[in-house]
Amino acid sequence: MLSSLANPRQAAVQLMNFGLILSTAFMMWKGLSVITDSPSPIVVVLSGSMEPAFQRGDLLFLWNRNVVTETSVGEVVVYSVKGKDIPIVHRIVRKFGKGPEAKLLTKGDNNVSDDTELYASGQDYLVRKDIIGSVFAYIPFVGYVTILLSEHPWLKTVMLGLMGLVVVLQRE
Amino acid sequence: MASTEKITVYNVADLRATTDDALLNYLNSLGLVQSHTLLDTRLALGFSAFLLSAACFAWDYKLGFESTKQYTLVAVALYTLLNGALTYWIMFVERGTIYAGSTKDGKTKIRVISDSKKPASKGEAPAYKLRIEVEDVNTRKTQKIELEKKFSEWFDASGRFVAAPFQTVLAQGIPLVGKLDPKRAVAAAPASGGQGATKDQFAETPGYTAEILDAIASGLGENSTTTGSSANQEAAKKRRK
Repeated sequence: MLSSLANPRQAAVQLMNFGLILSTAFMMWKGLSVITDSPSPIVVVLSGSMEPAFQRGDLLFLWNRNVVTETSVGEVVVYSVKGKDIPIVHRIVRKFGKGPEAKLLTKGDNNVSDDTELYASGQDYLVRKDIIGSVFAYIPFVGYVTILLSEHPWLKTVMLGLMGLVVVLQRE
Repeated sequence: MASTEKITVYNVADLRATTDDALLNYLNSLGLVQSHTLLDTRLALGFSAFLLSAACFAWDYKLGFESTKQYTLVAVALYTLLNGALTYWIMFVERGTIYAGSTKDGKTKIRVISDSKKPASKGEAPAYKLRIEVEDVNTRKTQKIELEKKFSEWFDASGRFVAAPFQTVLAQGIPLVGKLDPKRAVAAAPASGGQGATKDQFAETPGYTAEILDAIASGLGENSTTTGSSANQEAAKKRRK
């Protein structure tokens, strides 16, 4: 440990290795973003509004390119609404018109009414660019960890503590 | 200096790191000129990749995804290339090199690659493996030497590094080093007559000179600076804890 501080090159290597772990994780995420053309290609389902298709905690993989056909009725899409941070996973139930300006209406499978209530005030429908991707694959339940962590912040402390303990015990 | 610290003898990574450090110090002390080109190239590749991703993070954070995705695409491709080059460099060019250098006249290049080997059976000491490449710059001829010695030959039971026997191993095993440090090369010559001194020979033949044994007994290597005062410092450190 001390010798690595005395040698600036050794210290630089350690700093670089740490930086590369972070930057590689970030660039993999961005690579996935660029390939799928979606700013957030992997999302976790937070509500039960799409049951029985998706449960809370399901991990969804999104695809945001219209290679063959347009996004159309029946697809489960993730969209974001102006002024709201958290994107919503619901199904397209109505579509009027064609192309990027087609008017889309969404609804959660498990909800009684459609999503007009959820849209921004004055907004009655979605257009294609509001959508950040269609669900093309999912893994059940594995995203539940992130829900637990955000709903019970003390778990983060516990997790950090456990990691610290492992580091201390392993001495690597 | 790491060689004056006590280490845990059960930690192979520690044994190897301390020995590596001692090897650098020894070779540099013989008047070889160390070259940092290999490591500097690695640092350049790694840090340019890191800076690229930092820039990508900055524009993504400030301007959003949609307006910058062409740049992001280019950055991702470039990052993949840089990281690939870095991996190639580490695996096929550096190959675990701990020392690269040349003689003062620049006529001979030396490169040392180190590794550690787990003992074959329980209760034995792990071994230090060295691959040394000595290249004659004019003829481009490379001489390859492999050495494998147990760490127990230069660490005492308490985990203190003893320089003399380690330096003897190098001076005997590598002709170039032997030439630069004839005293060490000769020290155990009657035992082995050059390279290939096995551990057994070391144990039972007069491989250890009186001088080396003295050094071991007092826990002092020739280059080591362990003194009573530094031991006191260590004790003081413990007390503070």
